[in-house]
Parts: sequence; C-alpha cells; structure tokens
Amino acid sequence: MSDNGILLDIKGLCVSFFTEDGVARAVQDVSFSVKKGETFALVGESGCGKSVTALSVMRLVADPPGKIVAGEINFDDRNLLELSDQRIRAVRGNRIAMIFQEPMTSLNPVYTVGEQIVEVVRLHQKKEEAEAWDIAAEMLRKVGIPDPVQRVNEYPHQMSGGMRQRVMIAMAISCKPELLIADEPTTALDVTIQAQILDLLDQLQEQSRMSILLITHNLGIVAERAENVAVMYASRIVELSDCKSLFDNPLHPYTQGLLQSLPRLGFTGKRLYTIPGIVPEPLRFPAGCKFHPRCPIGCNDKRCQTVEPQLRRLDNGRGACQSDRQVACWFAPGYERPDDPKI
Amino acid sequence: MNTDTNTNGFLLKVDDLKTYFPVKKGLLRRTVGYVKAVDGVSLAVKPATSFGLVGESGCGKTTVARSILRLIPVTSGKVIFDNTDILAADASHLRSIRSGITLIFQDPFGSLNPRMTVGNIVGEPLKVHKKITGPDLTEQVRLILSKVGLPADAMNRYPHEFSGGQRQRIGIARALVLQPKFVICDEPVSALDVSIQSQILNLLKDLQQEFSLTYLFIAHDLAVVQFSCDTVAVMYMGRIVEQASAGELYNNTLHPYTVALMAAIPKINASQQASTHRLKGEIPSILNPPPGCPFNPRCPFAGDRCFAQNPPLLPVSGRPEHLLACWHI
Amino acid sequence: MGDNKQQKTWGTSYGEMVWKEFAKSRFTLCWLGFIILLFMLAIFAPFLANDKPFVIRIAGQLHWPIFKALTASDYGIFLAAIVAFIQFLLVLRNRRCVDPSIRAGVLWRQITISVFIVLVGIILLFIFIPRRLDATDYKSMVASGKATGAVFAPVPYGFGRTDLKVREQPPNRQHWLGTDDVGSDVLCRLIHGSRISLSVGFVAVGISSIIGIIIGAILGYSGGKTDFIGMRFVEIMMAVPVFFLIITIVAFFPRSLFNIMLIIGLTTWTDDARFVRAEFFKLRRQDFVQAAVSLGLPLRSILFRHMLPNAIAPVLVNATFGIAGAIFIEAALSFLGFGVAPPTPSWGQILSLGVSTTGRFLWWLTLFPGLAIFFTVLAYNLVGETLRDAIDPRLRESV
Repeated sequence: MSDNGILLDIKGLCVSFFTEDGVARAVQDVSFSVKKGETFALVGESGCGKSVTALSVMRLVADPPGKIVAGEINFDDRNLLELSDQRIRAVRGNRIAMIFQEPMTSLNPVYTVGEQIVEVVRLHQKKEEAEAWDIAAEMLRKVGIPDPVQRVNEYPHQMSGGMRQRVMIAMAISCKPELLIADEPTTALDVTIQAQILDLLDQLQEQSRMSILLITHNLGIVAERAENVAVMYASRIVELSDCKSLFDNPLHPYTQGLLQSLPRLGFTGKRLYTIPGIVPEPLRFPAGCKFHPRCPIGCNDKRCQTVEPQLRRLDNGRGACQSDRQVACWFAPGYERPDDPKI
Repeated sequence: MNTDTNTNGFLLKVDDLKTYFPVKKGLLRRTVGYVKAVDGVSLAVKPATSFGLVGESGCGKTTVARSILRLIPVTSGKVIFDNTDILAADASHLRSIRSGITLIFQDPFGSLNPRMTVGNIVGEPLKVHKKITGPDLTEQVRLILSKVGLPADAMNRYPHEFSGGQRQRIGIARALVLQPKFVICDEPVSALDVSIQSQILNLLKDLQQEFSLTYLFIAHDLAVVQFSCDTVAVMYMGRIVEQASAGELYNNTLHPYTVALMAAIPKINASQQASTHRLKGEIPSILNPPPGCPFNPRCPFAGDRCFAQNPPLLPVSGRPEHLLACWHI
Repeated sequence: MGDNKQQKTWGTSYGEMVWKEFAKSRFTLCWLGFIILLFMLAIFAPFLANDKPFVIRIAGQLHWPIFKALTASDYGIFLAAIVAFIQFLLVLRNRRCVDPSIRAGVLWRQITISVFIVLVGIILLFIFIPRRLDATDYKSMVASGKATGAVFAPVPYGFGRTDLKVREQPPNRQHWLGTDDVGSDVLCRLIHGSRISLSVGFVAVGISSIIGIIIGAILGYSGGKTDFIGMRFVEIMMAVPVFFLIITIVAFFPRSLFNIMLIIGLTTWTDDARFVRAEFFKLRRQDFVQAAVSLGLPLRSILFRHMLPNAIAPVLVNATFGIAGAIFIEAALSFLGFGVAPPTPSWGQILSLGVSTTGRFLWWLTLFPGLAIFFTVLAYNLVGETLRDAIDPRLRESV
C-alpha cells in the first residue's frame, strides 16, 4: 500500500459531455482522496456530478457523449485513466466494485442470483465452478440472506427490493474488493430496510477493512456513516471536510443552507429555512461562483459574480493551514490569500 | 395552530375504508384471492388542519388517497366529505365533488400532460367547472401561477421546459386553481432535491394559511410529515397502527413500529445519535399476511396474543387523542 | 411590436421537438422532398401529360382545350391542393403569432373551415362542370397546318389514347419510356398512375387508422371484459392472411378504385388498434391522466385531450409504413388483374403488361413502374423509420 494509507486519490478530474446543445461540464476540477478502510461520502443534489465522478473511477462514463477531459485517478498508486481496457477490466469488479441505486434493474432477470455471482467470482479469481458456487452461497450468508444455499437458485424477481440490494452487495464483495463504490445504495429502499443495508455495509467494512465511496443525497446517512465528506454543487466540490466538523460548523453557504433546510424529526416549527432558486443545469451555469445567485451572502458581491473560487485549505492567520478542511467560498474565514484578485 | 372551530367538527370523515384488489389467475381470470391494500382505515380531518399519513412503500397510504377520490374502486366503507357520501355519489355529482377535493402528485414528471401548455393544464379545470373563458381565464391562471411562485410567461410553455421543483409548483397550481377546500398531497416532495423540498413544504404551508386549506398529507418521511401536519397517523400493511398529534407522536412514541421507524431515520444532529434499535426482516407479503398483528414477525415484543388476534385501534388511556393498535402497551 | 420579446418566452411543443429531431436527418429530408414532388406530379398530372394543348389557334381563334377537357374531379383536386397549401401556411403562421395555449383551438377552427370550403367547392364543381368528351386530334391538326401556335404539355400524350401504329415500342425520342401493348405512352401513364397509387395509400391508411384508433381507444380505456372479447376479435383479424382476403373480396365486387381503398382500409387496422390500446393501457395509469380524472374533467376531455395526443405517435409512424404497404398491395392487385379497370392507369397494371401476349419480355414496361413503386415505398419507409427515431427518445425522456 502507498504512504499515508491513501487508497484512491483523484486529482483535478474534469468530465464533460459533448451534446448537440453544447458542452456540459459535468465534473470540474474535482480532487479528493479516500483512505484505506474509511467511508468517504460524496454528497450533493441531482445533477451535481457525484455519480459521474463515481463512474469515472470505474471508467464507465459513456463515451460518447461523455469524456474524461483531464485529471488523474490514482488507485493504489496507478493512474486508472492510463490503463488499457483489458487491465481496467481486471480492476473493475475485482479490486473496485460498485453497487447501484436501482436494485430492480441492476440484476439480470434471466439468470439466477447464484449464476450471476459465480460468473464474477470465476472471472476474477479463477476458481473451479463448484468452489465458486460455495463462495456464492457464503456471500449470500454474509449479507444476511436466510437459507443462502437454496436462494442461490432463485431469480431476481423472486426477491424483494431489500433482498436484491443485498444480492448486489454480495456480488460486489465476492471478490473482496479494496474499494466499494456505493451509488445511492439505499435511495430506492424504505427507511427500515435502508438502515439494515447501511448496517450491513458497516459490518462488512469492519470485517474486511475495505474503503467505501458512498454517493448519496441524504445528509443524514452521511452524518451517521461517513468519516470524510465532500459536498458537491454544480459539478464542483464546494466543501471538503471530516464529517464531524462539517456538521458542527459548515463553512460554505450552500452546506449551511442544506443543513438548515432539512426538516428534522421533532421539528414542528412554522417554516423551514430555504435556499431560494433552482439547481442550475450544466449547460447554463452562472458566471463566477456557481452558487452566487442562490447565496445569501454572495448574491450581490461583485467578486462572487465574476470570479469562481477554487477549493483550498483555510488559513488560520498564523501561516499554517487548518486541519484538512477545504472550502470554495470567498467569504469563508481565512479563505482569502494576498494574491487573490480584488474586485 | 389553526383554531378554526367549525362546530360541525370534521371536513372529511373516512369510516372503516376497505380497498381490496382481486388477484386473478389463469386463462379465465378467476379471482383466487384479495390483496387487502387498505383494510379498515378510519380517519377524520378538521377544517384548515393537516392530517399526515406516513408509512413504508406498500402500506396502503396512497391507496387511501385514491380511494377517497374514487380513482380506484372501493370495497366497502364510508367517505363523508362536506356532508356528502363520496362513495355513494353518481357520476355527475362525483365530478362536482372532485372540484372540491384535489390531488397533488408525487412524480413531477409524470403528473403533467407533456402535450399541453402550462396555461392549458392549469386552466382546463376552470374552463370545465366554472365555465370561465378568454381573458378572464388567462387572468385567473396568471394569478394562481404567481401565487405558487412561477413567472407569468410560464403559461405558454410546456412542462418539459421546467425543473422538478417548478413542475411541482405547476401541479400545486392546478390543484388549487378551483379553490378546493381539501387537498390531498401524495408524497409531494419525495421526488425533489433537498434544497427544493423545503421551498415546496413552505409553499404548501403558506398556501394553507392564505386559503385556509385542509390537507391530507401522505409521505414516507416521518420528519416531513411531522413538520407539515397537525395530526399524524402511521400505517402498516393497510392499517393505521398509531395516530397522535405531531408533537405527541414524537415525544411519546408508543407503537414498536413507530419507534423503529423513527430510529431508522438517519440523524444529522450529534445529539440524536444513530440508534441500534433495528427492525429485523422485511414487510411480509401483503398477499398472505401473518395471522394476528401483521407486525408480529418483526416486533421485538410480540407475545402470544399478538400472534392470535389483530389489535384494534383504540385511544391510549388518559390521552383520548392518541390512538394505538398494539396489545403490548 | 412586442412580438419578438414574446416569442422568446414561448415553449417548444412536442411536435416542434419531433420535427427538429426529424430534420436532423438530411438524407430522410431528401426523401420527404421526393414524396412532396410525387404529390405535385400527381396533382398536376393533366398539365404534365396530356394530348390536348394548353392553347391553340384554329382559324384565327384562340382555344384552350386542356382547361375545357379537365373534369370536375381534376378541378376538385386542384382546389383541395390549394386549400391544403394555405392551411399549411396558416399552421406555420400560427407557430409564430398565436399563443401556444390557444393554438389547438385556432387550428381546429381553421381546419373545419378548410374542409368546409373543399367539400362545398367539390359539390359545386360536380354540379357546374359537365363531362365533355373532346376527341379532336390536335396534333394532326398542327401537322396538317390547320392550327398554329399550339402549346402542348411536356408529355404530349393522353393516358387513354391508343395508337396501334406505335405499340410495344422501346424508349425512343417520341416516347421517352416507350409504349405499351396498345401504343399508349408509358411516361404519361406513369404520371397519371401516381394519382392512383398515392391516393390508395392515403385513403386506405386514413380509413384503417381511424378504425384502429377508435377500436384501440375503446378497448384500452374500458379494459375488462370488453377488452378481452375485443382483443380476441382483433387476433382473429390478424390471423387472416389479408392479401388473400382482399383478392377474394375483390373477385366478388366491381373493380373500382374506391372499393380497393375501402377493402385495404377495412382489413389493415389491427396494428393501429393494438398500438393505441397498449398506449391507452399505459396512459390510464399515468399520473397526469389520474390528475385529469381527479379534477372531475369530463370523459371526452380525458380521452381526446389527455390520452389520445399521447397515444398517437405510434399510429403516425405505422401510417407511413401503412401507406407504403397499401401502395404495394394496390400494385400487386393490379398486377394480378384485380386492380382498377383500364384505361385508368396504375403502376401495377403497367408492370403486368411487361410480359406481352406474344410472350415477349418488354423490359421498359417492367422496369419503370417497378422503379416508381420501389422508390415510393422506400421513401415512405425511410420517412417512417426516421419519424419513429425522432419520436422514441423524446417519449423515453419526457413521459
């Protein structure tokens, strides 16, 4: 393993979609790193680029129209973007696995769940068929499916949504991946089932020390499950922090607004805080800071309207940088540097 | 909060509503059984208040909403709205009742006709029920669109040109243009982005105050329902298992299912840390529910009585407003 | 004028989106142009191929034989074409000058007026234009010097004229595409034949689409027993081999163009019915239809305003294929001798003359009508294909 225990290191990732109506810059200059054994959450609203970032790690961005324009994705000190198609296939599903949002459609309806797991196991681990079936049953047991030996022979439509998501997880962990990318793993599930699935992920992580890149729009899940978190808005990371500090003291106005606008259990007040306006579309991003039209602080500020702030560490005034927190807002305390443009 | 004391009491009363779907099999489509989607639901809503129905998918909350409007055939029960029995009304009467109860849908993409302009979508009910045409119609549509926070030029545009939140506003405008007394909100925010949810929830509250509307608010998110409603009922497998005022339900949760539901919601505050109270298993198949209390396979407290008899919904002693269906307490 | 400013805030309708998507394929646009050209050819056939001159001077007097010889139905076709063209211009104008919210209403009013004008016009034409037979041989008059200053059509032959002196001639200077077994000019007959082929396609598909939409809508909306019984009937209809049924029926009834259109229309509606039924089934459960019901809108509005426009797309696509199919069926019937009676020309009929009674293979009688059928059917199929592609992605995206 590399130094600092960093497993996945993304630097300056840019992904664009070249459509007839123009170039949609879905991911712009995204950098973050996932340590070994941690859960890193990528949180944001629909269309903010979080799923595209995840797909880029798997090199699954549809090309055309999508294209990874710039950046590096270093996984265990190898740049995944430079690997040949054949080499990336050996990584996919083996060292990096992914589970998707929709448990109804991400399993193939014409094969039994056992056949689908066995295929993955045999492909990546060169196991004998009989042994692979044992592994399949063992994986199903591990993800908490009762009677796994019988259930390997069931078809996906014979199972409920929660069970199918468990099968997806079983398939994903069957090759003992080092990194599990979970793209909205519980969005399609009921809350009580969601809690079960998240518990299962926690427990699997504890057993195998795999890293999880958790992609979600649900801040509650992030608060409960992640160690580090990146908040994305309009294709950029606007705030990157450890989980506790983010929820105790959010720095970016977008994060602040999101946290305040959530209805919380037990809150029966008159009104909720709201972020005005709508989420901008990738083809019609505003100039300057992309959040400024909706921002309570920056909406009338000349600099916010014209110059886009970059994600950077905060200066605590004594020359040293504060912990690991990063933010992209001109008004965050300690953000400004002497050589910044003044408007 | 809203202390409109209508002496007649309730605007909408649902009494022992049952909606069963026949399960058909074979070439001749013989009925082999019933799915009891709604199995004896009773509720009463006071004017200018919000009544919340909360539960997981398949619990029957949406079926209740559609049964009230008779969008699906009801098996038995009574729905009294404004002193008329909806389930007994004939076709033309039903149409006029339906102008007094309107529906806001969950899916902001599927609930608007893609071939019609926003002006036509919102204006058609006015044309049909109030016979308003021409400039008057345009004016009224413009007014309601501005009330829900849409620009006036939205009239001549088509639904696909709007974002999810804006579409939901169009849906709200359509539901309110006839000035109904009663609005059923079926998961109005669950398909929306987090930053848009709060806008819509606030809008619904503001409109309720302005037009003194009565809401039946259906959602799977307990936090949303608690924020929006005065009274909250929790449904499980076609029945209400607990019902209380929003504050009471939060502070004095009694039914094990409600407790588990609350525990399962991921919390943001450090003070409300993740609970370890987890429900085992999944919702049983509604085709053949377990005997006794339908919650018994997942309930940590289930005793002999729970497996034998289904508990009725009764007031908790000392708290007449707090209803509960559980043998355990 | 605030016209310009207002235009910006107007939305793009579904139809406009489909057209934009359709127009992206330049290749298909060319074929659409070809179909339009064919229609022009069919409409103005008497001006393109006629043995009577436009104008001629006989004994110092100017005569206009072609205009006198045109029948009421010819003038009716011109009237319908002109009204349709004006209607088309009106639709284009509406797009820029009428609010989208009231556009549909305006359009319906205009169409009603147009149809009224055409119907009344045709009735009047049939009353006031008598059928005249003009058997004068103007060409020989010109040749013998009795008449001067004659202006003939580009193809100076009539489709009913026979000239046994020039029978079965291969393509030459006088007859560009040759002549048939009775000495009629093939090009002239091809041009006039396009009227038959195109109108058969249009009318037959119109009949079958209307039947299909009505039956499909009833089955799809009512469901239950009606649907069950109705679908079995549709399945029986589908199991019948349509072409042989048509041949059987045609054998019993007089050989008229109208009968052929009617029979093709009455037997090919099953696909449309199935499409519309499937769409209605799907739509009935959609939220916006439920919303219309829950708002207490009348059934008429639910069926025709909310459901039908969303169900029409597959019918439209199928119609273009249907037109191609109907042209094909008509050609095949004529080839087999069950088509329109001579001397009325039709492509299939010309084709059937390719093997003459003497057993000689007259290639020009086979090749040219064959090509005409081939390219027309190809054009319709390509347009249908592109239309389907233009409609499909939008359906997936927005519904």
